[in-house]
Amino acid sequence: MRVAVGSAADLDLDAVVAPFRAVDHELCLRIEDADGYPIASTSLDPPALDAVTRAIPGGALAGGRIRVWGSAAGGGLGTAVAESLAAALAAAPITDLAIAAQHAANARRIEEELANGRRLQRAFVALKPPDVPGYDIASHYEAAREVGGDFFDLFRQRHRGHPLSVVIADVTGKGIAAALLMAFVRPLLRAAIEHTTGPAAALERTNKILVEERRSFLFITALAGRLDVRTGHLCFANAGHELPLIVRADGSPPTWLEGAGPLVGAFPRLDVPEISADLAPGDLALFYTDGVTDARSPSGERFDEWRLLETLEDTRGGTAHEVVSALADKVCAFQEPAPPADDITIVAIRRLPAA
Amino acid sequence: MSMDTTVEQVEGAVPITILALEGELDASNFQDLIDTVKRLYDEGTRKLIIDLANLRFMASSGLVALHSIVQIMHGQPPLDPEGGWQALHSLGGDAQTEVRLAGPQASVERVLQRTGLDRMFVVHADRYTAIDAASAAA
Repeated sequence: MRVAVGSAADLDLDAVVAPFRAVDHELCLRIEDADGYPIASTSLDPPALDAVTRAIPGGALAGGRIRVWGSAAGGGLGTAVAESLAAALAAAPITDLAIAAQHAANARRIEEELANGRRLQRAFVALKPPDVPGYDIASHYEAAREVGGDFFDLFRQRHRGHPLSVVIADVTGKGIAAALLMAFVRPLLRAAIEHTTGPAAALERTNKILVEERRSFLFITALAGRLDVRTGHLCFANAGHELPLIVRADGSPPTWLEGAGPLVGAFPRLDVPEISADLAPGDLALFYTDGVTDARSPSGERFDEWRLLETLEDTRGGTAHEVVSALADKVCAFQEPAPPADDITIVAIRRLPAA
Repeated sequence: MSMDTTVEQVEGAVPITILALEGELDASNFQDLIDTVKRLYDEGTRKLIIDLANLRFMASSGLVALHSIVQIMHGQPPLDPEGGWQALHSLGGDAQTEVRLAGPQASVERVLQRTGLDRMFVVHADRYTAIDAASAAA
């Protein structure tokens, strides 16, 4: 229930709730400003109550509200507690109103800016894969927080034959710092791919820029690949990123494509090897970030490589979209009810079976 | 998810601290590890061996912890992991010897190799060879 209150100060929430504590109940309280924006919320146990009284500077709240939810043995307790709180708040004098209002306004502004950042970032990431005749491409991208440090890119290169370029990367870290570096590195890497002879040279050039200009304050794992769409020949270089996988149409077990060098931005030179693989009709290449394999269940178990392989076996012969969405769903379900702890990116490229 | 740390001291010409990790090093506990090393440094540790023999798994945040640990042992304050940290090249190209790694399991060793972090550390087969090497270097 929701109770409007006029003011609050020096509030002894503990005393207000005490009469009800003896009864078995589950209650949660949230204190909002006049616009309904939360200033504090807590369950009604003594340490949390203490936190609430500390969270309201000077105990001030004017024009604000307390919301109380919960279930109680015998029913009606939620209302009773809420009314008691409201009465206590209404009786209290107003102090430090400006501080509480300012806190709420600041929090709301930051939230709005993060929401804008998230929209902008989603626009950066190629959500709709390019149309490549003879191939079926799908991707999944989900940032754990408002903004994330994962990114991927799929585009046709200008070079002869217009090979398909695939990039997947993870800025180690989360939140705004990672997102800013991601926004800086993504076009850098794309330009390097367009202006070098191959993926290893592109990563080397990107690394050199990051290291020499000292722009890099975080580590980046990055994989850059080039697919000759006429032949199915995939050539890639891997700077510390999760190994990609190939699921062959011939029914053999999925295989990791080994071969990697150090993280981008960490050392003056990468000296990363260039690895080759061929996609035969019906074969699928999978790229992902560690948000997949490092996902945790509520009991602390890791999703791990074996569940990834199991999902690939289960979806064998499926379209790229079916594989990606099955994997994304499985990782999400594995973590529930918790939200994803890390950014998750998955890209699948499947060469269509011969007609 | 959970990781236990055990600290032991080896007395010698230069005292060596052994920090043994057991369990899984990931985003939930890497900051604790950094804090532990910060405390050890403040208490006077100047040679550190991180015994990885019982560490089953290391996530990418473990790499951040290892890098921060090297910084701490260089006497630099580690930067806020949320705010960014200096690139490894700022520490120079050669593996430093203030911090040595000992006995990584295959899965952890693969992560160190894949990410190139093995270039930063001298990695020993076990804590005993690490102690010998650290003592000889002193």
